[in-house]
Amino acid sequence: MRIISRRSIAVAALLVVAALGANAQSAKQYEVTKPIKIEWWHALESQYAPLIERVVAEFERQNPLIDVEAIYQGSYKDLNEKLIAAHAAGVTLPAVTVANTPYIAEYGASGVCEVLDPYIKATKFDLGDFGSGLKVASSYGGKQVSLPFLISTQIMFYNKDMAKAEKIKLPETWAEMDSFMQKASKVSGGVTERYATVIPGWDQWYFETFFLNNGIAIVNKDGETTDLGAPAAIAVASKLKQWCDSKYAYWAYGKDASSVMRQNFIEGKTFSVIHTTSLYNMYATNCKFEVGMHYLPGAKTRDSEIGGCVLLIPRKNSQEVKNAGWKLLSFLTGKEVNMLWARETGYMPTRNSVTRTSEGKAFLAEKPAFKAVFDNLDHINPRIQHTAYSALSKIWMQELAKVIIEGGDVAQAMKKASILIDEALQD
Amino acid sequence: MRERDTAVDAARRRASPRVRRERFKDFLCVAPALAFFAVFVYYPLVDLFRIGFTNWNLIRDEYKYVGFKNYKWLFKGSGLDTWLASLKVTFSYTFWEIVITLVGGILLAALFNREGKAFAAMRSIVFMPKYIAISTSAIVFMWILNDQYGFLNYVLGAFGVGPVAWLNSERTALTSVLILTGWRVVGYGMMIYLSAMKGISKDYYEAAELDGAGALKRFRHITLPLLSPTTLFLFVTTFIASMKVFQSIDVMTAGGPYESTNVMVYWIYDLAFVQFRVDRAAVVASVFFVILLAFTAATMKISNKSVHYDS
Repeated sequence: MRIISRRSIAVAALLVVAALGANAQSAKQYEVTKPIKIEWWHALESQYAPLIERVVAEFERQNPLIDVEAIYQGSYKDLNEKLIAAHAAGVTLPAVTVANTPYIAEYGASGVCEVLDPYIKATKFDLGDFGSGLKVASSYGGKQVSLPFLISTQIMFYNKDMAKAEKIKLPETWAEMDSFMQKASKVSGGVTERYATVIPGWDQWYFETFFLNNGIAIVNKDGETTDLGAPAAIAVASKLKQWCDSKYAYWAYGKDASSVMRQNFIEGKTFSVIHTTSLYNMYATNCKFEVGMHYLPGAKTRDSEIGGCVLLIPRKNSQEVKNAGWKLLSFLTGKEVNMLWARETGYMPTRNSVTRTSEGKAFLAEKPAFKAVFDNLDHINPRIQHTAYSALSKIWMQELAKVIIEGGDVAQAMKKASILIDEALQD
Repeated sequence: MRERDTAVDAARRRASPRVRRERFKDFLCVAPALAFFAVFVYYPLVDLFRIGFTNWNLIRDEYKYVGFKNYKWLFKGSGLDTWLASLKVTFSYTFWEIVITLVGGILLAALFNREGKAFAAMRSIVFMPKYIAISTSAIVFMWILNDQYGFLNYVLGAFGVGPVAWLNSERTALTSVLILTGWRVVGYGMMIYLSAMKGISKDYYEAAELDGAGALKRFRHITLPLLSPTTLFLFVTTFIASMKVFQSIDVMTAGGPYESTNVMVYWIYDLAFVQFRVDRAAVVASVFFVILLAFTAATMKISNKSVHYDS
């Protein structure tokens, strides 16, 4: 018995040594062994340039073999065009690139991204420190094809001074929205002096949360149909139109809608705006009043969705570039860099080791408005993933904007949209 | 005639080695240009038609041939309404750009066809917008045309008009883009017409004046007919350029609101790069190519009969 035990121990020890050796070997295959120059494509505008320079300089200091060129490629849309063109050509690909979260489904399905699971396993990258929603949002088909980078969610920015002075109660539920709209707006003789809020209609991400919280399936489980033509969806759309028709709110639509909406809020022409948390610093810096953040009202649920961008490594790169890319990617998604972004922009901390610890409290002490987000971390869900989601959102945005701004029958518009969306989903 | 052709052919066949060497040299001279065209024009064109028969999305490695599925979508499916609307918008835009270029150009040319520093300065001012990048001009015009903070509505407001949602209403969006287009192209039309006007012999005008023709008659019966080659040139080049309008639409309206400025090239771009439907984009582009080719050929054929050359 003792002999067997000794043998067992010896075998077990050998297995452990072998496993460690294999792991070391495995980690070694992702090492960077000679000098390399790589590109990092991003969509961060010029105000973030000094921060990017600092981050890249620190990375290069820690990884002297890797020379990083950070290249601003325009908006997420511009970057997407350049990335898929480079992917199709198979050349001039960056080692690492950001991508807006809705693109991950199509990129994942089409094999644009390198699957990161082997890198994560071999280098023992702490993936578990990200919230489960973030992991799902950056994966496709159960594979980790990207990692969360600059993460935001939908929020209502409001004028805290006005709220205090006029005792305006912010809506916690969809049912409270009517009274909020009346109380927060100033409409006399059919002319609006101040809107209660502005609803961004230029991107369905902002208003789809109202539909989701009312229990409407934007894409049904079959992946081929939508419930946007159902009575519940028509009721939500009708309510949105009613607020706009009553001039309590307006539907922000068009290429310059975002900048006009920001300006309206800064100038006090609207009590609140629905926007992304990533713009907190912009609002806080430009507004002469105290800016508050309020989590969007709920109905059957009170959830919001993940926005912002993830980081990925294009699959068609050489292994040397991928290895250097992984070094950069794991550095950029690390806790220290993430906190730097969170402090100096409006993006959220992504790591549980921050959000759920004393570090999170310290962050909230710096930016107390983020309490609205921190209190709801478990309710921030991944976005809907479907390869036809771009087509869906375009149809939906267009039909909804037309009926709200130009007028018409909401039920008819939503039914028309749902027919077109069904076709797009099924194709 | 046929006998003569046969004789020429025979002579060609009997070309001496020296002539053949010369021809080979000629071919070598044009070969780089031909190779360039083959790689960057003809091959993509052929591939465009091929992609139209697949379900490729540009980023997937594998795809299938799906026959006429994408053509059915365009001519019988949900693509038809958008295609017809887009054609209408594109032709409407083109029509107005041609009108602005030709009519505006010729009127301004007639007005500024004088000597003197003041006229030279005015010509430069009118022509200058052509040198400014479209994206830059478009951003400035977005500010001018903004319904809440725009300069145009500010001015109109002083007269009790508006505010007008220039870029955000389907009734005014295309007009708004055409305002930018007009500002850019009218000076170009003027310069082309001006250079052509300078080439018209003064003898014609002096003779007409002696015959008692007034300024309007001289313009109608001398200037206009002798400018017809220039008009043809401007018509064809403006037609092709305006049918391919993209940048101003991309910056100012993104094809909206509600597809009221969804010109054909913007729609192709949207299908390919936003909706990841390169297969459908290829079909739309192929059909559009055929339409453009047919229109250009027809224009050339018709205009050859009505253009006057001063020779």
